[in-house]
Amino acid sequence: MDELEQVADDAPGLVGAVNSLEGLKGVETELIGKNSVISRMRRGLSALDPDDRPTAGARINEVFTGVQVVIADRRRALEIAEENTLLVSDRVDVTVPNHRVTLGTEHLLTTVMDEVSDIFVSLGYRVATGPEVETAWYNFDALNTPSTHPARAESDTLYVDFGDPSDEMLLRTHTSPVQARYMQDHVPPVHVVVPGRVFRADSLDATHSPVFHQVEGLVVDTDITFADLKGTLEYFAKAFFGDGRVIKLIPHFFPFTEPSAEMHVSCFACDGSGCRVCSNSGWIELMGCGMVDPNVFEAVGYDPSAVSGFAFGMGVERLAMVRHGITHIKHFFENDLRVLGQFV
Amino acid sequence: MKVSLSWLRDYVDLPIGDPAVLADIFANLGHEVEGVETIEPQFAGVLVGKVLTVQAHPNADKVRLCSVDTGDGPTDIVCGAWNFEAGATVAVAVPGAVLGRDFTITRREIRGVVSNGMICSSKELGLGEDHDGILVLEDGLPIGTPFVDHLELPDVVFDLSITPNRPDAMSMVGLARELAAHFDMSYRTPSPDLTVTSGQIDLRVDIEDDRCRRFVAREVRGVHVRPAPLWMAQRLVKAGVRSISNIVDVSNYVMLELGQPTHAFDMDKVADSHIVVRAANPQETLVTLDGVERQLTPEDLVVADVRQGSSLAGTMGGLESEVSDTTVNVLIECASWDPPTVMRMSRRHGLRSEASARFERGVDPNLPRLAADRMAELIAAHADGTIVGGVVDNYPAPIEPLTVVLPIDEVERILGVPILSEQVTDLLGRLEFSVTGADPLTVVVPTNRPDVTRAIDLIEEVARLYGFDNFPSRVPTGGDGGLSPEQRRLRTLRLVVRGHGFSEAHTSTFTGYADLAMLGLPQGDRRLQAIEVKNPLREEESLMRTTLIPGLLQSARFNLAHGAASVGLFEIGKVFFNEDSPELGLVPDQPEVLAFVAVGSVGSADLAGFGRPVDVFTGMALWRTIVGQLGLGEYRIAQAEIAGLHPGRGGYIERQGEVVGHIGELHPSVARSFDLPGRVVVGELALGPIIADPGLWAFAEPSVFPPSEFDLSFEVAATIPAASVLAESVRACGDLLEVADVFDEFLRGETKAVGIRFRLRAGDRTLTADDVTAARERIVAAVAAAAGARLRGA
Ligand SMILES: [Zn+2]
Repeated sequence: MDELEQVADDAPGLVGAVNSLEGLKGVETELIGKNSVISRMRRGLSALDPDDRPTAGARINEVFTGVQVVIADRRRALEIAEENTLLVSDRVDVTVPNHRVTLGTEHLLTTVMDEVSDIFVSLGYRVATGPEVETAWYNFDALNTPSTHPARAESDTLYVDFGDPSDEMLLRTHTSPVQARYMQDHVPPVHVVVPGRVFRADSLDATHSPVFHQVEGLVVDTDITFADLKGTLEYFAKAFFGDGRVIKLIPHFFPFTEPSAEMHVSCFACDGSGCRVCSNSGWIELMGCGMVDPNVFEAVGYDPSAVSGFAFGMGVERLAMVRHGITHIKHFFENDLRVLGQFV
Repeated sequence: MKVSLSWLRDYVDLPIGDPAVLADIFANLGHEVEGVETIEPQFAGVLVGKVLTVQAHPNADKVRLCSVDTGDGPTDIVCGAWNFEAGATVAVAVPGAVLGRDFTITRREIRGVVSNGMICSSKELGLGEDHDGILVLEDGLPIGTPFVDHLELPDVVFDLSITPNRPDAMSMVGLARELAAHFDMSYRTPSPDLTVTSGQIDLRVDIEDDRCRRFVAREVRGVHVRPAPLWMAQRLVKAGVRSISNIVDVSNYVMLELGQPTHAFDMDKVADSHIVVRAANPQETLVTLDGVERQLTPEDLVVADVRQGSSLAGTMGGLESEVSDTTVNVLIECASWDPPTVMRMSRRHGLRSEASARFERGVDPNLPRLAADRMAELIAAHADGTIVGGVVDNYPAPIEPLTVVLPIDEVERILGVPILSEQVTDLLGRLEFSVTGADPLTVVVPTNRPDVTRAIDLIEEVARLYGFDNFPSRVPTGGDGGLSPEQRRLRTLRLVVRGHGFSEAHTSTFTGYADLAMLGLPQGDRRLQAIEVKNPLREEESLMRTTLIPGLLQSARFNLAHGAASVGLFEIGKVFFNEDSPELGLVPDQPEVLAFVAVGSVGSADLAGFGRPVDVFTGMALWRTIVGQLGLGEYRIAQAEIAGLHPGRGGYIERQGEVVGHIGELHPSVARSFDLPGRVVVGELALGPIIADPGLWAFAEPSVFPPSEFDLSFEVAATIPAASVLAESVRACGDLLEVADVFDEFLRGETKAVGIRFRLRAGDRTLTADDVTAARERIVAAVAAAAGARLRGA
C-alpha cells in the first residue's frame, strides 16, 4: 500500500508539471492506465485477506478518483490555454473595412415630403395625390382664379399640347388642383395632405426651378375656423422645426382662400434673434394659407354656407434648403452621389 | 411701391415714427415689406445760393467763373457745368462742406483763380444719378438757407409689395387710409383749388369701345416746361421714379399720390381738338415714348385723334403727342380702363409700367375727376400755366358702390371668435365702408375696393384690422386618416431598392427628341408618343418624359464625370403618354413607374472597393427581392430582344400574363451615345402592380418531419430558359415540394446543363425512399416531355 500512497502523493505534482495535452495523455496512462500502480493493485485485491479487501478497495478507488479529478482539471486548463493561443493568432484589425455593404440613400425631397405628410397623418389626415398634367379648370377655374389672372400667362405657366385644344391642358402650378379633385370625390369632413411635383415657367436660379415640389393641406368640416388654421400650423411648425417655434400669420392674397395669409415661423437657427438662415429677420417665411374661398366650395359642389375649411401649401425644396442649409436648388435635381450620400 | 415716411405724413398724423414698428403694421395690414431704407443726407455744409453773374474763365475754356451769393454777398466759384446762367438758384458747397463720406471742400486755386467752393450736381449730393450738369433749383428758395432743409431728410422709405387685389393701396393716400384705419384716426385727401380759371375747354372725346370706362380731360394753357421743384423731384426719386420735367413729374406725382395713372398730351398736337378712344386697327402701328414702333392688334386700345393713335391706353404714351420742352398747352387725361385689357396689352407689348401695374389691379373709376383736378392744380402751380375752365368727363356707365349683406354670425363661423356687430361696424367704418343695421349688417363698399364683393371679403377686412395675431389657436383632429396600404408599400419598396445599393434620384420631368432618339426605340413605340410642351423653357425640355431612363442615364454620366466609379440610382415618378388617362379621362395617361440604372458595381464590395460588376442579373436580383419583400407572388421573366437593350441580356417582367416592365443591359451603342462605359443595367417597371395591396397572406404550418433533398442535372437545348425547366419541375413534383431552385447552369455548345436542387417534405410523416424516387421520376419524365431535357449522367 505504500506504493499507492506514493502515487497519491506524487500525482498532483506530476500532472501539474505537464504542459501539453499530449503530455497529459502520457501521464494519465502512467497514473491510471492498464499498467499503472493503481490498476495493478486493483487486480491484486483478490489476493488479499477478505477482511482487508473492503478497506484496501475503498482506498484504491479514492486515490483513483482523486487522480482523475486532478487530470481533468489540468486538461481543462490546458484546453483553455491552447484556445487562447489560437485566438491570439486569429486576431484581425477590425478597423479595416474588409467587407463593405453600401445601401442607397433616400432623396431628401422624399424624406421631407414623407415627414410633412406623417406630421399631418398623426393629426388624422389622409395623403392624396393627383395628375401633374392637369386641366386649366382644376388648376385655375375651380380655385377661383379668374380667366384674366396673370398666373395663367404663358410667362408663368407651362402648357402642353394634348387633346382638344379648347380644353387648356397645363402642368399644374401647385398641388391645389388635387384639393378640388379630392373634394369632388369625398363628402366632408375632409382632412388631407397632398405632396407632389409642380411646375412653373421659371428659369433656374439658386432658389427657383421650373420643376419643384409642394405639400398642400386641406381641412373641411362644419365648424372649421381661422383658429383651426392657426393652431394646425403652430402644431406643424413645432413638429417640423422643434419645440419652441412660434408662428405669425401675415395677411396676404391668394385667389383660392379668403382670408389669406403667409405663415412665418421663428427662426430655428437663432431662435428669432436674427442670423444668416433668416436673413437677420428672426423669421422664416414658410407657406401660404387661408380659409377656403366659398367660390372653391361651389366649384366642387360643396355648400359654402354649410361647411368651412382651411388650406395651406408649402414648398418642399424651400423647407429642405432652410433646414439643412442647402445652397442651390440644383442640388435636388443633379443627383450627384456626393450630395445624395449626405441625405441620411 | 416705395413709400417715404415724410410724404406719407402729408396725409396722416402718425402717432409713431419708429420704422420697425411701422413696417410691422404695414405687414400686418397685408402689405408685405420687402425693405426699409433710412436715407441720410450725403453731404453737410451745402447752402442754397444764387448765381449772380457768369463769365468766361480767363485761363481756361472748359470752365466758367461764377459769382454766387450764398447769403454773405458775392463770392467767386469756378464751375465746369454749362446748364445754367446768371439768376439760377443752385446748391453750393462752401469751404468746409463735406460731400459723400469724406470729401471736404476747400478754397482752392483753379488755373490762377481762387474758387470759394463748388456748385453741386445731383450726383455729388447723392440725390440721383444725373451728372449732365449742376442741380438747378426752382426760384424762390431762400438764399443762404441750409440746402438739406428743403429735402425732407433724413427720411425712411418702405418698399412695399402690394398684392394684386389692392389697387387702392398703390398710392400714398390709400396707404394713409390703411394706417389711419389701423390707428383709428382720420387722414387727409388733397382738395384741389381750381378757383382761378380762364376760358372754357373746347375738346370732344368720343369713347368708341366700352373697355374705356371713363375719360376725364382738363386743359392747362401757357405752361413753361422746366425741372420740377426740388421737393417734388425728391419725393419722386425716393419713390423710385426719375424726375424729368415739371409736367411729367406732376403726372407721376399725382399717380403716386392718388393711385390714378394720368397722362399729359401736348394739346397742340391733338388734331381738331377731337379725341377718340377706340380699338386699334389691324396693321396699325404706334411709336411709343420709348421710341419703339409697336405693331398693334384690335385687342389693343388706343387714345387717338382723328388722324392717328396718340397713346396705348393705360400702358404707355405715344412719342408724337408727348409733352416736350416747347409744349405750351397741356391736355390732361385721367381715364379708367378695363383691367384685363390693360394687363394683356402690357404683357403683349412687354410694357410693364407703374401705370399698367395700377390699371391691371383696377383703379377706382370714381378717382379720375379728382386726379385731373389735382394735376391741373399742380401744373398751374409749378409750370406757370392757366387752368382752362370746365372739364370733359365722359363716363357712360357710372360705377355705383356695391352693397353687401353680412350676417353677423358668419364672422364667427369663419374666424372662430365672436366679434360683436358694433365692432364689425367700427372696423369696416375705418375703411370708409358705410355700415347700417345690426344683423345682418348692410355694408356699402367704396368703389376703391373692387376686391370686396361678398360677405367673405368683408370678413377678411374685419380679420385684417382685428389683427391675425389676436385670434386663438385650436388644432382640429378626428379625421379618419392614415396611409393607405399602397402608400405604406411604396415606402417599403423604396427601402428595398435602397437596400440593393441604389440611391434615390429626382430627375427632370422634361426631355427632348434628341434624348428619346438615343434610346434606339422602334417607330410606333409608345415612348415616342410624347406630349409636347407648348411654351418650353428650352428646346431640350420640350417634351414630357415617357420614360425615366434617359434622365437617370444622364445623372449616371454626371456622376462618372465627377469621379464616381460606380453609380446605382433609382427613381419613382410619373411618365406621360399622348393617350387619355384610363382613370381620370380628359387628362393624359400619366402612370408612375419605378426605374433604375446601375454602372460599375453596386451593393457590397471588398476592401479594394471591388464588388460584383453589374450585369443583367443585378437588375433581376433586385426584382426578385422586390417580389419577395412585397409578397408579389407569381411572376415570370421572359427573355426577349428588347429595342435599346443588349439583344441577349434583357427580359420582360410578366405578372398574370401582362408585361409590367423590362430589365436588361443597355445596348452598347445606346450606352455609348450616353457616354457610359461598360455594362449599364437599366430597368423600368409599372409601379401600380408592385404597390397594389395583395391582401392577407395565409400561414403555412412548418413541418416537424425531416426533409429529403436531391439534385437533378438536365441537359437541354441552349435556347430553353432555365426558368422553364424549373417551372416544369415544380409543377411535376407536386405537393411534397418544399423548395426548388436552379443552382447551376452552363453552356456546352448547342446545349446547356441546368442543375436544380429539390427539397421535399411532408407535413404528416417522414418521407420514404419510394416517395422520393417517385417524385424524381415524375420530374424527369415531365421535363423531358416539355423541354426535351435529358438527365445528365443517366
Ligand atoms: Zn435666424
